[in-house]
Amino acid sequence: MSLLLEQFGVRLLGRELIARFSLTVEPGEIVTLMGPSGSGKSSLLSAIAGDLAPNFTSQGSVWLDDEKISATAPEARRIGRLFQDDLLFPHLSVGENLLFGMARGPRAERQAMMKAALTEIGLEGFERRAPHSLSGGQRQRVALMRSLLSNPRAVLLDEPFGRLDANLRSQIRSSTFELLKRRRTPTLLVTHDAADVPEGGKVLNIENGVVTHA
Amino acid sequence: MAYSRLRFGALPLLMLFALPLLAALFFMLADVTSRAGWHGLWQHPQLWGGLALSLGTAAAATLIAFFLGVLIGASVFERGLLARLSRSVAAMLAVPHLAFAIGLSFLVMPSGLLARLLAPLMGWASPPGWITTHDPYGVALTIALACKETGFVLFNVLAALSRPETALAFRQQKAVAQSLGHGSLSIWLRLFVPQLWPSLRWPVAITFIYAATVVDMALVLGPTQPPTLALVAWSDLNSASVGDNARGTAAATLLALAAALVLALARLALHLMRQNLHSWITRGPSQRALPSWLGLAKWRGLEVIFVAVVLCLIILSLAPLWPFPDLLPLQWNGAAWGEAFDHASPLWLSLALALATSLSALVLLLLWFEGVDELHDKLMLALSMVALALPALLLALGQYKLLLRLDLTGTVAGLYMVHLMPVVAYMFIVLRGPYRDYDARFASAAAALGRGRWQHLSRIKWPLLKAPLASSLAVGFAVSFGQYVPAQLAAAGRLTTLPMESVTLSAGANRPLTAAFALLLMLPPLLAFLAAGLAGRNRWRAA
Repeated sequence: MSLLLEQFGVRLLGRELIARFSLTVEPGEIVTLMGPSGSGKSSLLSAIAGDLAPNFTSQGSVWLDDEKISATAPEARRIGRLFQDDLLFPHLSVGENLLFGMARGPRAERQAMMKAALTEIGLEGFERRAPHSLSGGQRQRVALMRSLLSNPRAVLLDEPFGRLDANLRSQIRSSTFELLKRRRTPTLLVTHDAADVPEGGKVLNIENGVVTHA
Repeated sequence: MAYSRLRFGALPLLMLFALPLLAALFFMLADVTSRAGWHGLWQHPQLWGGLALSLGTAAAATLIAFFLGVLIGASVFERGLLARLSRSVAAMLAVPHLAFAIGLSFLVMPSGLLARLLAPLMGWASPPGWITTHDPYGVALTIALACKETGFVLFNVLAALSRPETALAFRQQKAVAQSLGHGSLSIWLRLFVPQLWPSLRWPVAITFIYAATVVDMALVLGPTQPPTLALVAWSDLNSASVGDNARGTAAATLLALAAALVLALARLALHLMRQNLHSWITRGPSQRALPSWLGLAKWRGLEVIFVAVVLCLIILSLAPLWPFPDLLPLQWNGAAWGEAFDHASPLWLSLALALATSLSALVLLLLWFEGVDELHDKLMLALSMVALALPALLLALGQYKLLLRLDLTGTVAGLYMVHLMPVVAYMFIVLRGPYRDYDARFASAAAALGRGRWQHLSRIKWPLLKAPLASSLAVGFAVSFGQYVPAQLAAAGRLTTLPMESVTLSAGANRPLTAAFALLLMLPPLLAFLAAGLAGRNRWRAA
């Protein structure tokens, strides 16, 4: 599965925020979009996911392989998202957070998948814990796994390492990239920190509303 | 330091609110634990039927109000219409229950506006034979309570949703849940309602207790053979016989205990179902969306009912002669209004009480907030919740006994005391959040600029807080204006407030005069909320 943006742009109240550009993200590829805060990076991700705030509009189209999804409801696009905050649901346990996005099916099977996923991120036996009892790095790993368990066809990362402290950052970063590559999920990463760019990955710059290849 | 601050700022509120409340609680407990009256109660023929009616109408009304309130809140949040709705919810809350009940009874009675609207469709030449008010199953009472309390639930939903941190968290959680494949209905039921529940369960419990023990609305709309248990208790409490009074106390106690038991059982059931609820929440995504027509349509429907009630009251108050199938009366005249203003002393008394209690409560609360450390708020909050959650019937009984000891029954001072109690309780709950959230750094900034404490308060703090100050005054005014049960007992037949006069009239046959009084009962609180809305407006406009 690959993610395609075709002549894609964002407007705010009719004024151009991000000029139209095209981009292909191949399976397992992580493309980085770099730009200062306020450059409209997050709005671009919202546009791809389909939940732009009122007054914003998107132009052009988004494709997953040969399926055009830019007119589909956000909940039907199956595009995973990760934010600066982990946004684990506070009224659910760690395990329940993982189950929340998992497709319906036999209970025992889903439980087993959830437990295996926790083991995969090094949190074996954490399923009954409350999210707030976990460290920031652990929570961000759960959030990523929650997104992956819903079988997203592409993933959008919005500065997901911004809140982590420096020594944790590189560790979480490499484990995140590894998980995404292993599942061959096309990923678009937005950041203002050059250290976040995966090794050898494609980088785009966004400046004054124009997206250019670095 | 902390000790002296507590002493001076707290004293007025403790003396005028906490002490009388505790004394009333003491007398109430002394009364309800006495064994007199219970024997008579068990033999009362209307006991079990009345109890079933009280609990049944209350449970139905509370459930309807909860679901409608949450649903409307959800659809309004989804469309970003929060601010616009808040104003009409406030207006709806301001209408006293009693006035709404009288208006609704006129709207649905066989010769009411509703039947006249239907008449051409149904070919009716005379009023239909339906039994709308005082129906034996309490349907009219349930509908009236549900309409009114939906506003209360909605008010609490909107209050929770308009907290900036909640609104932000919900928007972000929504983005995540959508990316996981959940549609808006699923997001509300699985994410938002469970997270809102902690701030809704007290309002829901208070709604239930209120509905189970309501007197004034049941007098106007409720069943009569048997009546609700609250009315069984009420007629005994108003009897001249000491034996009846004791039986009434026992009935009110039993009703309160039964209502508390129902709430405890509901709590237990929710606890036992916890596991099932969580399995349902986490069974996987559903893309179903909130039904788009449901929320706002229901809201418009509620608004239409309120407007129709007011219209109906206006027409009736001006129409001594209104032959049946006609939509509008043959002739209009203001005779009823003339008569109402000839006998306006209940209006003036109620206005004076509402102004006096809300203004003095504001002074008491400001003294408390400025003079007492936030740590001690818990005590006042607990007392306020007790004052609001206890059935008015029981608390009024304690207040009455207290007034008897002080020899204040039938005096304006006594009426002032019983009105002040709920007013302070409501205003404390409304005002505490905004007042304590005030950023203390403004005070430091003012001090650094050489401004004294008084100048800081009058030039900076109170102007900044004028919206919550004004709306708490409006709440206090409306609460005082609508008091019936404690006022009726405390007045001891020597003084008459507007709600008391309205209840008396609604039992009679003078419809124009009753309608005029119901409007008089409705208008001042509405005006108070309107004034609070205007006074609280910012001088600048958000872009």
